[in-house]
Amino acid sequence: MSKDLTIPGDLLSGDVRLAGEGTYIEDEKVYASVCGVVDRGEKIRVVPLTGKYMPCSGDVVVGKIIDVRFSSWTVDINSPYEARLHISEYPKRINPGETNQHLGIGELIIAKVTGVDAAMRVDLTMRDGGKAIRSGRLIEISHTKIPRAIGRGGSMINLIKNETNCDIFVSQNGRIWINGREDMVTLAADALLKIEQEAHTFGLTDTIREFIENAKRDRK
Amino acid sequence: MSDNIVAEIKKEYIYDLAKRDERVDGRALDQYRNISIETGIISKAEGSARVQIGDTQVLVGVKIQPGEPFSDTPDKGVIITNAELIPLASPTFESGPPREGAIELARVVDRGIRESGAIDLAKLCIEEGVKVWMVFIDVHVLDHDGNLIDAAALGAIAALLNAKLPNERYDMGKDVQLLVEDVPVAVTVAEIGGKLLVDPCLEEGQITPTKLTIIFNKDDAVAGMQKSGTGMLTSEQVYQAIEMASKKSKEIRKKFLKRS
Amino acid sequence: MKGKPEKLIVKGKRLDGRKLDELRPVKIEVGVLKRADGSCYLEIGKNKVMAAVYGPREVHPRHVQEATRAIVRYRYNMASFSVEDRKRPGPDRRSVEISKVSRESFEPMVIKECFPKAAVDIFVEILQADAGTRTAGINAASLALADAGIPMRGLVSSCAAGKVDGQIILDPMKEEDNYGEADMPIAMVAPDNITLLQMDGHFTKDEFKQAFELAKKGCAQIYEMQRQALIAKYGAEGKR
Repeated sequence: MSKDLTIPGDLLSGDVRLAGEGTYIEDEKVYASVCGVVDRGEKIRVVPLTGKYMPCSGDVVVGKIIDVRFSSWTVDINSPYEARLHISEYPKRINPGETNQHLGIGELIIAKVTGVDAAMRVDLTMRDGGKAIRSGRLIEISHTKIPRAIGRGGSMINLIKNETNCDIFVSQNGRIWINGREDMVTLAADALLKIEQEAHTFGLTDTIREFIENAKRDRK
Repeated sequence: MSDNIVAEIKKEYIYDLAKRDERVDGRALDQYRNISIETGIISKAEGSARVQIGDTQVLVGVKIQPGEPFSDTPDKGVIITNAELIPLASPTFESGPPREGAIELARVVDRGIRESGAIDLAKLCIEEGVKVWMVFIDVHVLDHDGNLIDAAALGAIAALLNAKLPNERYDMGKDVQLLVEDVPVAVTVAEIGGKLLVDPCLEEGQITPTKLTIIFNKDDAVAGMQKSGTGMLTSEQVYQAIEMASKKSKEIRKKFLKRS
Repeated sequence: MKGKPEKLIVKGKRLDGRKLDELRPVKIEVGVLKRADGSCYLEIGKNKVMAAVYGPREVHPRHVQEATRAIVRYRYNMASFSVEDRKRPGPDRRSVEISKVSRESFEPMVIKECFPKAAVDIFVEILQADAGTRTAGINAASLALADAGIPMRGLVSSCAAGKVDGQIILDPMKEEDNYGEADMPIAMVAPDNITLLQMDGHFTKDEFKQAFELAKKGCAQIYEMQRQALIAKYGAEGKR
C-alpha cells in the first residue's frame, strides 16, 4: 500500500473500475477530488485530510440538541446536515408534546444514525445504546483524525483510558466525551488534542504514553 | 444557527471552573491571551495594524484624505470609524449592511479615540470652513475568536500611531506623522458565575451574561465604558472590573503601543 | 495621482524590473484562519487577499437551496483601506459583477452533487489592491476550497495578460492596468478548461492569441505555486 499526498485533479488511474471514495471519473480516467492520502487497496481511494463529517447509516455520533419540536428534536451532528430524533427513538416511551421535559436545547446525546436519504434527511435513534450526556466534558477534533485517536485495534484510546481511568467515548463525527476525575479528564483531553495536532507523526502511541506519564509525574 | 448554541455541559464546565478561579483555556482570571501587533502592513493606507489576541484577528486601516468640515465645526477635522463583521470572520456573521453588533463595535472604538483626545481635531484643520483632514478608521475583522472590542480598539490606536498625513499626495508639502496626543486602551471584563475575567475567549464570550469594556487614557482616567449583554453587575463588581482593566491597560500600553 | 509615465517598457523591462512574461512575486499560505472551514492568504505583488470557505453548510434562506446539489456562493469584497482613495464599505456594481464571474469560474469544478441542499460559501477580502485582485482572489479561493475539503475536479488558477506600449505582458500591475491598452483576466483548470475570461481594451486577433497563450502560461505557473502551498500545509500529514 503506497501512501502519497494528492490534491484535487491529480490523475490516479486509467482504470475506472478502481474509482473509490475521494475520486471522480472523467474521460475514462480516475482523478483525486480532495486533498488526502492515496490508498491503493482493492479500490483506489483518497483518505481526506480535511473536510466535514458526512453521516452514514450505522455511525454513532455525539449530537447537540438545537431545536425541540412537538414530537421530535433537531440535532446538530457536526455535519452540514442536521439530524432528527423522533420521540419513538427515545430510550423511554414518551408522548408527543413532552419532548421538552426530556431533552432541552444545548443538551448532548449519544445516538446512532439509522438512515440518510437522498435528500440528506438524517434520522437518529437512542434506543440502541444511546443516552443523554449530563456530566463530564466534551472536546471536538477533526473527524478525519478519529481513526488515530482510536488507534489500531483501539490501542490508543485504551492507553488513554487506562492511564487516566476515564470513561472516554469517541464518536464518528469528531466529538469525544470524557468522564472521570476532574484532573484526569483534563489530561485525557490534552492527550487527545495532542493526537489531533500530531496525527501525522511516527510513534504516536509512544509519544502519548510519555506525555501522560510526564504530566502525571509533574502533578505529583 | 447551531454555532450559537453552546452545549449545556460546556456551559456548566466553564461555570464550575470559574468557581475555582480557573478558565477553559487554562488562563488565570486576570490573564490576557497573547497579543501580537504588526503595523504598516497596508501600504495603500495612511496607517494600518493587524492585531491578534489569541486566535482573534483584526485588521485596521486608517485612510486620511482632505474633505469639507461639518458646518458646526468648521475648524475641526473629522474622524469616522466603521467596522465590518464580514462573513469571512465567523460562521455566525452574515453579508449585508452593518447590524447592531458591528455598529456597537465601531461606536465603542470611536468613543475611545475621540474621548481620550487621542486626536486633536483642531490640528486637522487645513483651511477653516473649507478643507480639513478626514480620518477614516476602518475595522476589518478577519477571525472572530472572542473579544473583538479590545482587538479592534487596539488595532485602531496602533494604526493611528503608525499613520501619516499624506501631504505629498495633495501637494501640501511633505508627509508628516499624524499627531497622537493620547493612547487609549480598551479592556473587556466578563462576568461568569460571580467571577470577573479579563479578555473573554469565544466560548466565554458566548455564555457570559455581562461584559464591561473600559477604556483608559494614558493617565489612567476612564475615557469610555460600555456594558453589554443581558446580565447585571453589582457596584462592587463594577469597581473591581475597573481595577482589573486599569492594570491590564497599563501593561498593554507599555508593551505594545510605542510610536512606530 | 502621478501622471502617466512616458514609457511603461524600457529595454524589454517593465517599471518594476520584470520581463514581459514574468509574474509578480507570489506568497501563499493555506489554513490561516481558525473559524473558517478553509482559508488562504495570498500576496501577488502589492495585492494582499484573504479567502475563507465555510461549508458545505445549511442554506439560509431555505428557498434558495437545491434538492440534488450544493449551491456555490462567492463574495468578493474590498476593504475600505485597500485602495488609494478610501472605498465606501459594502458591495458596489463592480464587486457584484466580479463576485458573479468568480463564482462561475468555480461552478464547473466543485463537485456539487456530493452535498444536496447545502451551500459552499466563498468569501474573498481584498486587503490591498494593486491590479489583478479578482485573479488573486480566485487563486486564494481555490486553495481555501481545497483546505476546506470540498471535492473538486481540480484547482482553479487565474492570471491576467495585458497590452502596454503595444506589447503583450503577463500579470499587469497598477500602472500598466491604468495606462495600458488592454487587460484580460482568465481562469483555468488544467489541462485546458477555461472558466473565466474577461477582456477590455484593444487587441488585434493576433495580439489576442498571444495574450491568451501567455495568460495560460501564467496560470500554469500559478498552479505550481498553489500545489506547493497545499503540500506545505498537508505534506507532512500525507507522509505518515
